[in-house]
Amino acid sequence: MMEHEEGFSLNGYELQKYQPNRYPFLMIDYVTEVVPGKSAKGYKNLSNNEWFFPKHFEGHPNMPGALQLEAMAQMLTVAITTLPGLKGFATHAMKHNVRFRKEIFPGERLYIESKVISWKRGVCRGIANGFTNGTLACEAEMWITIPKIFKKYLPDHGEQS
Amino acid sequence: MERVFYMTNIESYNKIFMETFNVEESALHDLQYQGVKEWDSIGHMTLISDLEDTFDIEMETDDIVDFSGYEKGKEILKKYGVEI
Repeated sequence: MMEHEEGFSLNGYELQKYQPNRYPFLMIDYVTEVVPGKSAKGYKNLSNNEWFFPKHFEGHPNMPGALQLEAMAQMLTVAITTLPGLKGFATHAMKHNVRFRKEIFPGERLYIESKVISWKRGVCRGIANGFTNGTLACEAEMWITIPKIFKKYLPDHGEQS
Repeated sequence: MERVFYMTNIESYNKIFMETFNVEESALHDLQYQGVKEWDSIGHMTLISDLEDTFDIEMETDDIVDFSGYEKGKEILKKYGVEI
């Protein structure tokens, strides 16, 4: 018999229990499937009403790369904060390697697939790919941390870092 | 016939430090946490993970916190049966 990973979805309201960012910095709208500690998939819809489109850029609106990365990091965060005992914990970015493949425009949906490579001592290493219209738009390798856990393992308990 | 080279413990230990923190072997003896910019919080976790993988050990929390320098690390690894 094949083993099945237990996944579930989170709507736009439910996901906020696992993702502390709020408007205007909540960059994911729906989690279609999260497998705690393993992966999270979902999307961000980009309407013309996004706060950043009027100025980024006038006459050529497209989603800032930094926010694409933020969206991928937020999706990866959900894969961690859905683990037992971590609901509502804030995460911090430590180090990201990101590649942007194409521009993302108003009216498109950024579909994100994130995967946890490792989760140990408050540090998550993971990857994410973002797609629009079925093709790769951005990708990242990320290290995110839950400082409350992570700092317990540092020689100075995080005072200098 | 293919020749296989094995690294000694000290060679493996030094290699991890040099690659993680981008330092020369001559600088290892005095190397301390936060002594070079690469040995910051994420560098520390990378170091511990690499040591655990290389020597097939799992370090306790107190030892990870006490692992404050290159020489101190040698003492700590002894507890896990790893002689550097």
